[in-house]
Amino acid sequence: MADRRDLNKLLRAEDGDAGCTAGEAILDAYVELELAGQDPASVYPGTAIHLKSCPGCQADHAGILHAAREFKDEKPE
Amino acid sequence: MSRRARFLLSRIAPTPPDRESQQWVEQLSPGNPRREYALAKLDEFRGLSRLTTWAYKFAVFEVSSKVARHAWQHHPPSRDELVFEQLPDELAAHPTDRLERLEQLHALSTAIGNLSDRQREVFVAIALNEVPIDVLAIELGTNRNAIYKNLFDARRNLRASLAAAGHPVVREDAA
Repeated sequence: MADRRDLNKLLRAEDGDAGCTAGEAILDAYVELELAGQDPASVYPGTAIHLKSCPGCQADHAGILHAAREFKDEKPE
Repeated sequence: MSRRARFLLSRIAPTPPDRESQQWVEQLSPGNPRREYALAKLDEFRGLSRLTTWAYKFAVFEVSSKVARHAWQHHPPSRDELVFEQLPDELAAHPTDRLERLEQLHALSTAIGNLSDRQREVFVAIALNEVPIDVLAIELGTNRNAIYKNLFDARRNLRASLAAAGHPVVREDAA
């Protein structure tokens, strides 16, 4: 239950939000920029805005980032 | 590497996969479902990232989708109507601040009631009841992007209503 939340976060809706579909196409590249220590928001500003307010895409982004960071050198079976 | 894999890899544009990525595909065992899945999707690869990261992306999307479907089948989401106690309730130290906060919450409650049926349903489910967006999309027979658009519009309308009622929500990065 959402009993205590930041109102600004609850109502976050910023200009320039690229939406879910645009992010799906480039989330892998977005993650690699992060892992390279670069700022993905400078390349994909609309997706950076979107990731602040879409819970589904936030979860996907976290999953890809985790996998790329943890398993990048894993050999496939 | 199979002829099909070589053919698909040769079609990758604009940047061919690096040597490490090619080795990654080569090392997938024939018959491994992941190899077949990777090959089926390989012609969509555009070289924006390493092939491995690109493959992880589809794995995550696949898991997200299956988890949402499983959750929806086993635990249909609760989309109860708005309960006042669910609204933000940050403690304000001063009684005046507290009163102002309560007035803002009353204005928000009224504004939620004035949303369209669809926007209210999506906002209450996702923002207040924490129903996963993909689960709600399945239940409403649509997709994540469409639900997000409803959520975005609801948030915009609520901000506008609060501002019109004299209770604007200041963006944290604008403060």
